[in-house]
Amino acid sequence: MDFAFGQLAVLGSSLVLLCGLTLLWRRGSAAHIGAFAAQSVALAATVGLIAGFTGSRELWIVAALFLGLKGIVMPILLKRMERRFGRPRELDPYVNTATSLVIGGLLVVLAYIVIWPILDVSRLPTRAGMPLAMGLIFVSLFVIISRKKALTQVIGFLALENGIALLAALGTYGIPFIVEVGVFLDALMGFLVMQIVIYRIQETFESIDVEQLNRLSQ
Amino acid sequence: MPVLKVYLVALAQTTLALILAPGLVGLIRWFKARLQNRSGAPAWQPYLELRKLFAKEVVVSRSASWLFRAVPFVVFASTVAVAFLVPMLAVPLPFDSVGDLLVVVYLLLLGTFFLALAGLDPGSAFGGMGSSREMTVAALSEPTVALAIFALALSAGSTNLGQIVARTMADPATAVSPGYLLAFGALFVVTLAENGRLPVDNPATHLELTMIHEAMILEYSGRYLALIEWAAWLKVLLFFSLLGNLFVPWGVATALTPGALCWAGTTLLAKLVALAVVLAVFETRVAKLRLFRVPELLAVSFVLAVLAITVSFLAR
Repeated sequence: MDFAFGQLAVLGSSLVLLCGLTLLWRRGSAAHIGAFAAQSVALAATVGLIAGFTGSRELWIVAALFLGLKGIVMPILLKRMERRFGRPRELDPYVNTATSLVIGGLLVVLAYIVIWPILDVSRLPTRAGMPLAMGLIFVSLFVIISRKKALTQVIGFLALENGIALLAALGTYGIPFIVEVGVFLDALMGFLVMQIVIYRIQETFESIDVEQLNRLSQ
Repeated sequence: MPVLKVYLVALAQTTLALILAPGLVGLIRWFKARLQNRSGAPAWQPYLELRKLFAKEVVVSRSASWLFRAVPFVVFASTVAVAFLVPMLAVPLPFDSVGDLLVVVYLLLLGTFFLALAGLDPGSAFGGMGSSREMTVAALSEPTVALAIFALALSAGSTNLGQIVARTMADPATAVSPGYLLAFGALFVVTLAENGRLPVDNPATHLELTMIHEAMILEYSGRYLALIEWAAWLKVLLFFSLLGNLFVPWGVATALTPGALCWAGTTLLAKLVALAVVLAVFETRVAKLRLFRVPELLAVSFVLAVLAITVSFLAR
């Protein structure tokens, strides 16, 4: 039972990570938003699995929050944003797709090395998924620094948040509810602020290419 | 006597693969046609094509060398040799001691290499383009095949394909482990690339400028073309058997009783049909990638394979 639960948890985490890697692979904003929505659903399923196994009521609420807000509401908001900016223009990323995928793979290996000492200490059946969550955090950070379009960077930030939530759920069976909700609302506020900033960027430069921001310093 | 029986089974398996291969490709075409609202040729059409091609005369360009005539036999023989090594009906295979997964990968690469040479040999513009593209794809996809199967070999403790199957059957829980699923994804993408299926190459036509496989064999006719086509179809079947039997090994016979072998044959057929449906649906859903996007797709499958190895190696 423990073994099957561990395997399923790792399976869920790898799905979450794969959706993160999709951000590096695809170019269109619609695909990015779809990947983020799928990632949130996979995250909610994994958290729900842990909740079902540990019988924790708080984790069920967290899973429902993830599913409702991140799986449904945020993608709708993102889609509305995308529609507002007209047809998504393809911007060349700083690092090309094939190279960034390979870098993404290497980052996951790095995450394994980083998490290694913790794996030795932890006795939870879910511990094998922790490197994957850490890998997602690295990959999302890489998405944020290697992509030029502001919308993609926002999605990268949201994926980063997913990675942190997954790491917390796998490593400790969920942090105290109040902290979880605090972090969650923080990210939500961040998202809303970024949304407004993107509108401002769009209005000023008529593009959401963040390279344009360099013009401000001239 | 038992030794003889083992070899007979191996021979029967290869013959079966040769007989089933055209039917499998015909089935994929028929499914695709139905999905696209066409009535489609019947599933046994490829058999008729083979009969027609074997009866036709061979036309060879005057500028072609002996290589051009030798290649169909090399391609066909290397693919048939692989058919002896891939676990289809029963494990352990008698030829396990002759070759493991590395031999399989390089035998497949040998066929690809000679096909590319044959594309260059008559000096036609299309053949050269096809060869250069095929080598680009092969260089990117062969390492992924090896890596994806290595991920399984790591958990089985052997690079022997038969051993991997036997180990997975003994320990069913590993089949749902993330390493296996990632490796499956990687091998599926590579199957598409290696067999010239849709997002990489269009198998339905040779009237496209971006064709790969069809460009290389454009100069072939008659029985040479028949051999090359048959080998290509056999390759599809072999990749399908690898996907089906390495990742979902149940049904493969471990004892050589008639009942077990019949059951193995039935499950193999079921797996092949299931994969044919999956491939037909997939090919109907996706559009062909631009040639310069193909390396990105292969990079995805490579990363999947690397992750599969990482997961199964570091998280033991």
